[in-house]
Amino acid sequence: MTLAQQLINGLVLGSGYALIAIGWTVLLGAARLVNFAHGQLYMLGAFIAWAAMTKLGVNYFVAVPIAVLALGLLGVLLQGMMLRLVMQQNLTSLMIVTLGFGYVFQGGAARTFGGDPERFISPLQNANIRFGEIWFTWQDVLTLVCTLVLFGALWLVLNRTRLGALVRSVAEDPKLAQLFGIDAARVYIGVFVFECAAVALAAGLVAPRSPILASMGFDEVILTFVVVVLGGIGSVGGSLLAGLGLGMFTALFGALVSPAYTTAAAFLVLLVVLAARPRGLRAR
Amino acid sequence: MKAFATPAALILAALAYFVPSVAGGAPVAYAACTTIAILAVMAYGADLILSYLGEVSLGHTIFWAAGGYAASMLAVNAGWNGWQTAAAAIAISLILAAVLGLVTLRTREFVFSLVTYAAAVVAMEVAFNWSFLGGSDGIVGVPPLELTLFGRGITGSANADLWPIAWVLLMLTLLFVERFRRSRLGTSALMVQMNPDLAQALGVDARAVRFLVFVTSAPISALAGWLYAYQRAYVGPDMFESYFLVLMLTAIVVVGRRLLLGPLIGTALIIMQQTFFSIGGDGDKIILGTVLAAILLLWPRGLIGLWDVLKRLRASARSTTAPAPRQ
Repeated sequence: MTLAQQLINGLVLGSGYALIAIGWTVLLGAARLVNFAHGQLYMLGAFIAWAAMTKLGVNYFVAVPIAVLALGLLGVLLQGMMLRLVMQQNLTSLMIVTLGFGYVFQGGAARTFGGDPERFISPLQNANIRFGEIWFTWQDVLTLVCTLVLFGALWLVLNRTRLGALVRSVAEDPKLAQLFGIDAARVYIGVFVFECAAVALAAGLVAPRSPILASMGFDEVILTFVVVVLGGIGSVGGSLLAGLGLGMFTALFGALVSPAYTTAAAFLVLLVVLAARPRGLRAR
Repeated sequence: MKAFATPAALILAALAYFVPSVAGGAPVAYAACTTIAILAVMAYGADLILSYLGEVSLGHTIFWAAGGYAASMLAVNAGWNGWQTAAAAIAISLILAAVLGLVTLRTREFVFSLVTYAAAVVAMEVAFNWSFLGGSDGIVGVPPLELTLFGRGITGSANADLWPIAWVLLMLTLLFVERFRRSRLGTSALMVQMNPDLAQALGVDARAVRFLVFVTSAPISALAGWLYAYQRAYVGPDMFESYFLVLMLTAIVVVGRRLLLGPLIGTALIIMQQTFFSIGGDGDKIILGTVLAAILLLWPRGLIGLWDVLKRLRASARSTTAPAPRQ
């Protein structure tokens, strides 16, 4: 394969990483909450869209919004349960609680949807575009466009609107923000719902690339953690750059060195960076 | 009352030796008790980090697997006996913990958790792909455990043979953890967790404490993995599965953090549910995850929190005038 094709592959992979990571970035930045159920939420998003297509018979472009809506509602429920711990900023307990949630989702999905791999098919996945030796699918184009639009919109909302100012002030100092009459609890619920909805959208766009499994979970999205930390916790622009950079890295490493060890290589980069700069590349 | 609590707990744990024979001596009783002892020892490794440093290590499956791989590879390929493989398991886990401890030296909270998790993912990928470690097939045919001292000892692979060893390992772990709680390192760790500023003012080097506790905890989980390899006669990349991670954390928090017998009772409850009251693998996942989340959401101090509620109710029932004294 040519270098140009590898770069295209990197862009495709990278836009996926960035899209999967975005909800997590915002959640970490605003609520300092690590959601270890992120991977299982991705899995649920994919399975709900798949179930809507195969059981309800709706088409792909309806199924994905259904999954986004369903996970948004799930987000309200989950954050409602965690709200007391979030307000106390009891981060240790919260991390463990989300691990527990993820485990429940994994068992629940295997019971509901079965333990076999399923094919979640997007009509655009087989629509190829070719330029000589280089090729990609319309699904890749859609993913990239959605990623750029979502990141752009998010950046505008966070930096140019009153809503964004609320989120940023709660992220900065929740107690002080509350003194100024900001309802921090609602902001926390809002960012959590955004995370769940965003990961469902990411699952709808990215998951059709390969068969989906109820047991796929954190390992499936763990690479996005590299994106979140390297891009700088809570930085929207940083995660987009880090996502695309990581996509290029894994595409080139997989093609030139070893496809089996790409995850390990990405994490080694992260470990080296963190040992040198514990707060990520864009240290605050 | 307080002075007797620790010896009483240790005696109670020691009496557990007779549980399988009292329970009828069936193979399933020995299997369940041996598994509980092994997995409880595994959980005590992570317990040192969670209870005393207040951090969540998601990397202790590395040490658990390192112990298992060390035992099976050296026993299968080099014919080492139990003492030698145990020494190797300890040495390898210490080296791995020192490396990971240095990398994570300056990380806190979620960054620490995520980096330890990332390290576990890397380790699993290496174990899965590297033929030296058996690759995805793992290492099969681990010989019976051979532990002899002065010509007397145990050779065996059945759970009834392994139970005395598992029990000894559990008791040694309990004594070690008990000693650790009273040690300078243990008390410094608690101080660093509860009041870092005070610790610093008293000249405690927080980073050194965190590093030492991390390194101290690794051989505990590694020895559990060492015995697990002999119990199953097989190790593979499945030792990195999140099952063991969720099990460790649930066992620690379910009864209550910083209780000597907490992880043991927690592990016993979980394994008994999965052995005798299982509702299928996926159903058990739902139960385990629900217990973990519900405990922290409803009784953040663990089931022991219920005891306090009862005590307060009883105290207020006895005397409505005097307020219940806080301990």
